[in-house]
Amino acid sequence: MANFRRFRPDDLNKLSKCNLDPLTETYELSFYLQYYAKWPSLFQVAEDENGNIIGYIMGKLESSPDVYKFSEHYLPWHAHITAVTVAPEARRLGIGKLLTEQLEAAGDAGNAWFVDLFVRKTNCKAIKFYESMGYSIFRVVKEYYGDHSTDPTQDSEDAYDMRKPLKRDVKKEHIRADGEKHEVDPTDVW
Amino acid sequence: MAYNRYRYGPPALKSSVDVQLQSAFSDGNWSAVIRLAAKRFATLKDPYYEAIRVSTEAQLQGTAEKCAVLVHVDELVRSKKTPDIDTLDLYEWACQDFIGYEIDFAETFGPLRARWVKANASSPMASSCLQGCLEQWDLVSAQQIAATLDKTYANTTDRRYMFWNITLTFLLSISPQCTEASRKVYSLLTVRQLQKAADITENSEKLEKTDRGLLTEEEVCLYYRVLLSHGTKEEFLARLRSPKLGAISQLKQGHKLLFCECLDALETWGEWDTIYELCRDALKLGLDGSTTPFFVCDLRIWKMFVSRALDEVQEVLKQFIELKDKATPMYKKNISLALLETTFKLPSTTINPDHEDTALSPKVVQIGLFLDQYYERFAAFDDVKGYVAELGYEEAKTFLEDVLPKIPGENPTKAQQIIIKALECRLRYTLTTCPQTLSPHPTVVEGTDQGKPFQCRVCSNLAKSPCEGCLRKLIIDAADAHRQITSDKELLAAIPKLDRDPRLDLALVMGNSLLKLSGLRPGLPNFGQSLWQDVQPDILLQAVLLLDTQLKVTPNDNGLRLLLVQLYLLFGCASYAHQLWAPLDVKRTIQDALSPLFFDRISSISPGLFQGTRPLMEPLRAYYTQSLRDPSPVRIWDAFSSGSYTSILDMAEYDKKLRTSCTLVMTLVEERRATRLFGGKLDVDIDDHILASESPADIVEDTTLVHKTDYGSFPSLESANGPPIQEFIRLGPGPSQYLDLLTYTPPKDYKPSKAAEAAARDKAYALETLTRINTSLTDLLHKPSTPKLLTPAETNYYTALSLLSALVLTAISLPKSETSVPKIVSQTTQPLKTTLTTLRTGLLSPKSTVPATTQQAISSLCDMPSFASVRDVAFAVKLSAAFVLSHHEKETARDKSGKSGLHKEVVAEMKALESAAAKTLGEAKGHVGVLKGVMNESGWLDKLLDVVLGEEDREMGELTEKVSEIVEGRGGAEEWAGKVVDGWREGVKGWGMVKFE
Repeated sequence: MANFRRFRPDDLNKLSKCNLDPLTETYELSFYLQYYAKWPSLFQVAEDENGNIIGYIMGKLESSPDVYKFSEHYLPWHAHITAVTVAPEARRLGIGKLLTEQLEAAGDAGNAWFVDLFVRKTNCKAIKFYESMGYSIFRVVKEYYGDHSTDPTQDSEDAYDMRKPLKRDVKKEHIRADGEKHEVDPTDVW
Repeated sequence: MAYNRYRYGPPALKSSVDVQLQSAFSDGNWSAVIRLAAKRFATLKDPYYEAIRVSTEAQLQGTAEKCAVLVHVDELVRSKKTPDIDTLDLYEWACQDFIGYEIDFAETFGPLRARWVKANASSPMASSCLQGCLEQWDLVSAQQIAATLDKTYANTTDRRYMFWNITLTFLLSISPQCTEASRKVYSLLTVRQLQKAADITENSEKLEKTDRGLLTEEEVCLYYRVLLSHGTKEEFLARLRSPKLGAISQLKQGHKLLFCECLDALETWGEWDTIYELCRDALKLGLDGSTTPFFVCDLRIWKMFVSRALDEVQEVLKQFIELKDKATPMYKKNISLALLETTFKLPSTTINPDHEDTALSPKVVQIGLFLDQYYERFAAFDDVKGYVAELGYEEAKTFLEDVLPKIPGENPTKAQQIIIKALECRLRYTLTTCPQTLSPHPTVVEGTDQGKPFQCRVCSNLAKSPCEGCLRKLIIDAADAHRQITSDKELLAAIPKLDRDPRLDLALVMGNSLLKLSGLRPGLPNFGQSLWQDVQPDILLQAVLLLDTQLKVTPNDNGLRLLLVQLYLLFGCASYAHQLWAPLDVKRTIQDALSPLFFDRISSISPGLFQGTRPLMEPLRAYYTQSLRDPSPVRIWDAFSSGSYTSILDMAEYDKKLRTSCTLVMTLVEERRATRLFGGKLDVDIDDHILASESPADIVEDTTLVHKTDYGSFPSLESANGPPIQEFIRLGPGPSQYLDLLTYTPPKDYKPSKAAEAAARDKAYALETLTRINTSLTDLLHKPSTPKLLTPAETNYYTALSLLSALVLTAISLPKSETSVPKIVSQTTQPLKTTLTTLRTGLLSPKSTVPATTQQAISSLCDMPSFASVRDVAFAVKLSAAFVLSHHEKETARDKSGKSGLHKEVVAEMKALESAAAKTLGEAKGHVGVLKGVMNESGWLDKLLDVVLGEEDREMGELTEKVSEIVEGRGGAEEWAGKVVDGWREGVKGWGMVKFE
């Protein structure tokens, strides 16, 4: 039913199964191509038999800018999951997990310390999914999102910054057990 | 669309420049900068200050000041001296509005930057020069710079210089920027460089970063891409098996890209044995632990693998089946599908030596086993559809009657039963599109053609394809199942827990069957002339009503929504189609692939939509303006700086396609058509439009436009034996540039001093343009593929334009003194008059009075594209005649000798045409008035419902009764009817604003 391979720009013409889903954001062309240009091995897709994209993950490898080197919030060389989505018809088959594992493998190949991502605090399903894959909360970014997914009376929502250590982090120095107690402002996230 | 590297401000001045001048410059105080720079130049004699002055003057309004910098740039180019880099930056900033217009970057700044890099190769600014050339997509200069950098930094740890050079040499070799003489040299150079690098890798025990071999996945893949383009197949195949750079060796290193790309190439060449071997070796890597077990366990790989050597396939598959428990659900399913695929690929003599079409064959059993595990999953139908379509008739019958019902076990729940029922209905529908369900049957019986060339093997009736009897039965069965769900609380409560709502599947079966029964066919002969000539409106509208009712229940199903959008467009209900389209939120990048589903030909269906507060095509226009703003592919420098060489090649290719996208042209054409309909002025010819005329992909007459509409989300119940459903409900495109000439008026500031000379130029321009248009249209109309691309209405329109261009050309070039008028005049005027008469009588006459029946009114409302073509043909004739007569009057007024002007017979013909066109336009306007009047009549809801569900006091047919049950009768359908009628009213209102005079 599915093939996994690296993204290629022509896939942008086959995104309807994923991107017509209201939970998947559609970006400008430059956004997709920036990831493809800089981190092609971290941009993976799952396609169906007819070449339709039924899932994809976009990620990057980076560290915080040098200017923050001595800040407590400085992030060393790591992989970051920017977007991961699976078409409604292809859910519950583990495609999201496989895509995430592929990104982690690319993170290992790029000698990253860990993989991180942001998720809405109320998105319990996603949090559970990431926890099942070995991710844990590293910190809480207060009011990271400019809206609230479940409560229309609120104009912001916290994010969990979740992490999974990669092979390089042998001593597990880049994760912590009490991440939920570590709150930061969005301005501390670069 | 001029490229603007300095979009966000001018370049920084040299740090040696004094604070006063620096401040004035950064404040944009140009007069102070000019004064101070002139002063510094006089004192210090440093030409840089002169460059500051000249560049700053270019920021002023005066043409002379603005253009002075061009002279300086020209001097620099000619001087052959190495320019100062800061001066170059300033000049490029000053010329930003001229690049691409008055000056060509590839002939000025590109070579200047390349010259500078050659003299300063080790400067950190050299990369910036390369970036500058790439952003302008000046590949010649960029390649020269990259070659210089490669030479300078050979054998350093930064390997990018070497591969920038190779990549750019390759890009240049496949670019139109390369001269034919150089193309071979560059092609050879790229291959040789990479071959050398590949040999270094193969022959080195351990490759160091400083070695000029192939080290990274990107470098290796670049080599294969170049080999594919410029090398030989033998070389490609040989390297593919090599111990270090071969596809399997790369897989062992975790690099899958090369493997996938090699399979693409091998598939193109039909190298099935090599494909088989590669797939086998790749799958075995997972079994022997060289890679993770399921690294290449993709369905595509399995499908390629199972096509050969049976025993070996079964052995590998068996080992994977043993590992299945450790696999994620996705791979488990791929392995199950591989097993299914294997069964279907086995020679029939192996699996069933006695009889091929035995009912309970291994194929049937294997589909059953697969569905045992997956029948409740969302994609179960899509997974098995192709296999069921391949079954022989007896096999299919056994599968549907004996195997499928038993799949949920002995005591299935109600939900499981209904899932199976929905699956059965969908598969039965698919089988109606398969040839094995029909046997040929003599169509002529006792001298009469029965029109039914088949006997259906399912229902034994004489049939066309598809069998109408089976479709009717399917509708009745699906409707019963649908009613069963809606009347059962337990089932309704179970639906949210299911992967997919079975009511949706059943509705799609009913909807698609009704569409087929209505008479819709792909490329219907009279499609576009009048939908209802071939289609039964009541059945078509029943399909739409039923699907629309389902959309209320499953509003998040995008496939159903898209299907409805196209259906509403098909019968002229564009404003409601727009309401359905809007929630899909098609925006930004996905517009290019999805927008044609709504916007194609929208101006001819409902021009009123263009009268909204926000211009209808604005999001599309903004997307293209943003994405094609620069001559280079978006983010190309990021790929260079990251060493992503395959990304560079793919991005360049994607950019080329985007610049020649059908959707881009559609955007321009629809906007322009709407502008014309409302009598607006077109600023430029379409081929001069900023989005269509920019290098590197200037859209010209013979440009092949790239069509990539994404139908992936459409419901697909059809088998591969027939066209998909979208082919049944699609309308076709067709741009034209003809009217641009006829509405051309000289700019206001164009005041020719010599009237005769100006008139001669105008005439030459008109003749040249008319010749071009005539040639273009004649070519288009004579292409064998054209009839398939145009509706008859469009063919009429383009034929009329072709005739008109020939006529106008003859009319204004024929000397007044000519004694006999060439035949071409009558050969063009006569068919034009006939066309006008045919169009008038065909479309307007019977409906120019109040329609006799509701169906007639609906027929007109649904046929606005044909009406649009009547208006367009008549308008084109009118404008053409007016153009010729105006030319005649001007010539007569200018040249009192009486020698100029047109031949009197031509003038007479033109007047006759003008009058016929005016009459047609008058009637067309009247037609809109009549429609408006009809739509304002009361009782429309009932009239429409009478058409769809039959009149209230009459007995319904069985199908209508079933549809009525599902939509909950007339009461339930009233809201829908209201939306449709409102949609038509909106459409007619929009046509009321169209210009007919």
